[in-house]
Amino acid sequence: MTAILDVRGLSKRFGGFVALDGIDLAVAAGERVGLIGPNGSGKSTLVNCICGTLTNETGTVHFNGQAVDGLVTHERTRRGMARSFQLPRPFVTLTVADNLRVPMLYTVNARPGTALSPAELDARCAELLQLVALADKATKLPRDLTQVEMRKLELARAMAAEPKLLIADESMAGLSQSEVDDIVGLLIRLNERGITIIMIEHIMRAVMKFSQRLVVLVSGKKIADGKPDQVIRDPEVERAYLGQ
Amino acid sequence: MRTRVFLLISIAVAACVFFGARLVNNDYVFFAGYTVLQFIVLATAWNILGGYTGYVNFGSAAFFALGAYSTVFLHKFYPMPIPVLIAIGGIVSGIVGLGTGYLTLRLRGAFFAIATLALAVVLQTLVVNWDYVGGSRGAYIIRPNEIALIGPYVQYLFLLMLALAVIALAIARFIERSQLGYGFATIRDDELAAEASGVPTLRLKLIATTISGALMGMAGAPFPYYIGYLQPSSAFGLEYAVNSIAMPMIGGTTIWVGPLIGAILLGLLQQLATVTISSAVNLLIVGVMLVAFVIVAPNGIVGLVQEFLHRAGVHTRSIAIIIIAAYLFVGGIGGIIWSLKLTLGSGLVLFILAALCIAAAYGLLMLEAWGLWLGIFLFAISIPIGLAQLLMGGMSTLAMLQIAIGIVVTWFLLRAEVKLLYRQQKVAAS
Repeated sequence: MTAILDVRGLSKRFGGFVALDGIDLAVAAGERVGLIGPNGSGKSTLVNCICGTLTNETGTVHFNGQAVDGLVTHERTRRGMARSFQLPRPFVTLTVADNLRVPMLYTVNARPGTALSPAELDARCAELLQLVALADKATKLPRDLTQVEMRKLELARAMAAEPKLLIADESMAGLSQSEVDDIVGLLIRLNERGITIIMIEHIMRAVMKFSQRLVVLVSGKKIADGKPDQVIRDPEVERAYLGQ
Repeated sequence: MRTRVFLLISIAVAACVFFGARLVNNDYVFFAGYTVLQFIVLATAWNILGGYTGYVNFGSAAFFALGAYSTVFLHKFYPMPIPVLIAIGGIVSGIVGLGTGYLTLRLRGAFFAIATLALAVVLQTLVVNWDYVGGSRGAYIIRPNEIALIGPYVQYLFLLMLALAVIALAIARFIERSQLGYGFATIRDDELAAEASGVPTLRLKLIATTISGALMGMAGAPFPYYIGYLQPSSAFGLEYAVNSIAMPMIGGTTIWVGPLIGAILLGLLQQLATVTISSAVNLLIVGVMLVAFVIVAPNGIVGLVQEFLHRAGVHTRSIAIIIIAAYLFVGGIGGIIWSLKLTLGSGLVLFILAALCIAAAYGLLMLEAWGLWLGIFLFAISIPIGLAQLLMGGMSTLAMLQIAIGIVVTWFLLRAEVKLLYRQQKVAAS
């Protein structure tokens, strides 16, 4: 098993506040990892450091066997690391289809030997929209979408970059049960296509259903890492979530 | 391919404009037209950075003046034909654009705007203290009266600016439809998400500042020949900075026609006001229009029309309503300008009617029921007004045209399907 993502000793501080403290995390290719932790435990900061939105003070991030420290976000995206945002951040003046076209133009077309013709681009967009059940909204603007459709667009846009690793940051917050099942199903389908997925989530039902492995962050430290059903019985995890 | 078609069409339109202006056979037309064309270039250039990527540049005058002063410098140093000077002015301003972009584009929002404002101040101070280009005294450029093939020199300058306008619009439209345009739009919408989607935001912003700066410099390069005497205060004038922001904002910033419409509208209005009222009223007009648009139509004229089409659907009657609204709007603006010249009593009546016309245009485009009824009222009363003019023996053809338009439009607006359009929207809203 080769690690597609290998984070070693990663630390991040904001002024005097230590947000992340020596995180080690290795994710194997094709794996489905759930990342949980209470509010403010550093989950999103970890994602931001992995993706290059924030720079970590210490530690290294290896992706696909190469160090990506010092690379800016778009370079990491081109190498195959994609993310969705906690609050959907669609490109509001572009149509739904064009929202997906952008990552295709700037990542897939920027990789050597994978340039797409305009017709292929259109086909890819249509295919991807079909996958997330947004095909009939292709020419609409993001403001015409519902919350759950917006989340799907967010995931589809991350997918459009044809990533090897997808990090879904709380893509289900505020959704109803059936909508959550919808998105979990979508993520599992994507995983079956060979994409490694890290899911950050508060909704335990979704996390338990999705994850093959569960990682728990508390106050910037990793306190558990292992099989989901074992991890949630871990006394330390229970203490972090329920108090003593 | 379609860019080539667009280029051909715009060259044809430009040729019509040029030969049309020659038919009028009045040098003033070229004089005023040059200014309007110059604003088309400036507004389009500003929009490539300000509209497409969302970075507001308050320093347009600095880039414009850089082009103008590189011409002054070369005129003294080694005289060259104007097209070459335009190219050099573009290169100089483009390089400065790239440099400023590199230094300031890590700043966002208001901070970037302040930095560009500072650039204008710094450059003006430099020019004022540089004796070779005239310093604060200014510099004279003696231009020839005639030029071979074309005739009067001002016509030559007009032609050059016309070509520049075509080039600027073609570039803007090409960018909009290319990969670059998508990248720019993502920067405007959400820079963080753009980076996460693989868009190299810093590089694209540098491309935008360079192109935008270069086009502004190119617009400024022939200016010394046009004006004859260049002072720092005229080259760095407030009107360039204000107009190149106001025109795209009023026309619409997301598409190339926006700055074009804004520049033609405001540019013509300013020329009209200069002739009829005074040149001092120019910036007042821009100010009032800008405030009005920011409040009622923040996405400009194009945004208003796009929103209307989005809600009413693309249909022949939608197009007809847009034409009627445009007619009301242009008529209303013209009426307001004209009313300022009349005596208080009749001026006030005309002013109110003109303001109602503008309100009706807005109401029609916003699919408001009051807009429809106001429009019907205005076109209906234009029939008896036209008849009265006929009886008093005024300009009869114009009055007859007014009556004809009044009847046709009133009939059209009273049709069931048009009324339905306005009722449906009301139901949908509630």
